[in-house]
Amino acid sequence: MTTERKIRVLMAKPWIDGHWRGLIVVTQALRNAGMEVVYGGNLTPEQIAEIAVQEDVNVIGLSFLVDTYMVLAPKIIEELRRKGKEDVLLLLGGIIFKEDIPALKEMGVAEVFGPGSDLEEMVEFVRQHAPA
Amino acid sequence: MAKSPDTMTQARGKEIKEEFLSGSDILIKRLYTPEDVADINYDKDIGLPGEPPYLRGIHPNMYRGRLWTIRRYSGTHTPEETNKLYKREYELGQTGFSIALSVTTGYGLDSDDPRAAADVGVAGVPVDSLQDMEIMFDGLPVENVSTAILTCPVTILPLTAMYCVMAEKRGVDLKQLNGTSLNDIMTQTSMANWNVVPPPHTMRLAVDLIEWCCENVPKWHPVLFDAYNYREQDINAFQELAILLATAIGYIEEGKGRGRVPLDKFFRRFSFDMGCHNDFFEEIAKFRAARRMWYRIVTERYGITDPECTKFRFHVQSSGCTHTTAEPLNNIIRIAYQTLAAALGGAQSVHANSYEEGLCLPTEQGMLLSIRTEQILQEETNIINTVDPLGGSYYVEWLTSELERKTWDYLKKIESAGGIVAAIQSGWIHREYKEAILERQRRVASGEAVVVGVNKYVLPTEPYQVPLHRANPNATELQTKKLQKLRMERDNVAVSQAIERLNEVASSDENVMPAVIEAVRTYATIGEMCDVFYKACGVWRPPMSA
Repeated sequence: MTTERKIRVLMAKPWIDGHWRGLIVVTQALRNAGMEVVYGGNLTPEQIAEIAVQEDVNVIGLSFLVDTYMVLAPKIIEELRRKGKEDVLLLLGGIIFKEDIPALKEMGVAEVFGPGSDLEEMVEFVRQHAPA
Repeated sequence: MAKSPDTMTQARGKEIKEEFLSGSDILIKRLYTPEDVADINYDKDIGLPGEPPYLRGIHPNMYRGRLWTIRRYSGTHTPEETNKLYKREYELGQTGFSIALSVTTGYGLDSDDPRAAADVGVAGVPVDSLQDMEIMFDGLPVENVSTAILTCPVTILPLTAMYCVMAEKRGVDLKQLNGTSLNDIMTQTSMANWNVVPPPHTMRLAVDLIEWCCENVPKWHPVLFDAYNYREQDINAFQELAILLATAIGYIEEGKGRGRVPLDKFFRRFSFDMGCHNDFFEEIAKFRAARRMWYRIVTERYGITDPECTKFRFHVQSSGCTHTTAEPLNNIIRIAYQTLAAALGGAQSVHANSYEEGLCLPTEQGMLLSIRTEQILQEETNIINTVDPLGGSYYVEWLTSELERKTWDYLKKIESAGGIVAAIQSGWIHREYKEAILERQRRVASGEAVVVGVNKYVLPTEPYQVPLHRANPNATELQTKKLQKLRMERDNVAVSQAIERLNEVASSDENVMPAVIEAVRTYATIGEMCDVFYKACGVWRPPMSA
């Protein structure tokens, strides 16, 4: 179902790991699909939640190239809750071990896109699932 | 004279592609003949190995005299575990170490800093103080090995100081100490988003370290110009080489401007590092062209002919961004070809990646395999039997010259952008990265660039699993406890005095290294020292945007 409301996305890398290629590529693909994307670059969990509120996004895309996601994803979800920003589609990308995906989904991550993911499928997923 | 395109078409018959392009989009002909190298003067442009312009190698006998150093970039979770890892690598025959640091240490964060909590031990070893450096090299013969410390200014200053003080305390004469500090201002601009000091300050600190090493640790390579990291942004071979040379030129200009160390002494220990990607011959051509270009820059621009300064010494790492996470064992083959290209290009040291690095830090098995990849090449293939075996190939010599031409052109572009520091600050370099990243993505998505197992010959399901390495979840806790104990036990008055002194020099024109050394001796932490610089220089955010 396509929503009437414009899709607004925040793309970020939690904390300090640099590797930004995936973030740039996905940002561009979402923009090409007509979505508004805030490119956050590296942000702390607090900043991610803050910007998500300020920019009124309905989608957050986080890129992890190192396995800090099991620590950082829950922190970010917690920050979003504290700010009352729960109605948001949370997506993860990068190097995520398959065995961790069920636990991430349990926490509230909607989907995980690893290397080689089809960008068109990703765009379609966002269109389908972004909350109104 | 080249034949007209029509004659070429007739001669070649039907071919599988319209045109054949190199990795950096150089149009490659069906065949190369003496005509293609007719304008090359052997004595002047090629010459003998060990002689100017060093196109064929920096030593007359190359690997017949000394094999390239097998130098894995490694470090893991804690200094204690890293010590075990280094001992294992040493037993396996590795002759040089290369410290992969935790991202937290790379940014100058102590392990007990709340900002570091999630990332301690990520991507390498956390080093909080001299104590950790002592633990890491305990029982290893630092007098006989060479160690590369791979981080950039700011953190490279305290870390180099820690290595030197550790060695000195063990009775090693600093005049004999061998190793390398990465110390390249480009590294953070191409990797980091956080806690970077503004480029002119980064340059100042980098050159402080070089000047100090020239006086105190003369065998040390005080800078490793590290193109590997920005090549991973999908820029091409000649962009990589041009940025590398532009950076080295920037350093020479800074050293020259200061005039504290005579120029021929200032850059006699410069060293270089490049990536090796999949276009086999083009990468070899790049390594060969690099030597000739460096020779020309040093002699023609700076009038220096001392061979120690004109020889381009370099390390190669096989390219991480050519790895795939699909069918990861395929990476073994990619790494082997890239390692062969590095050797045929005349590298002084090589890091063959581990095949699973697209998925995780190397496993024990991955580490062993990467050392064996190089040993098999050195001991079983006989490629070391003769120097520069591809020299004189019509194709390779033509491609070397062609790549060199492209590199000179791109170097001019960087110089038109104001030189390397200005090109970083204005965001020029980052726009080049971004363009390259998006173009690569476009080509992989369209199938123009083939990646086996990813966009061609794709299997419906992953055919196998490989063992994965997982981070030690206790690294933060272990480091934090150790650090808190250290903070209790050390002489905190001495630490405060040393930090105060560092504060003074950081805001002056004085070389900061003597004060860094003194601070390290008191077991001041990396965070305590780096904070001084972040306060004195300010923090700058690399202008990467999408």
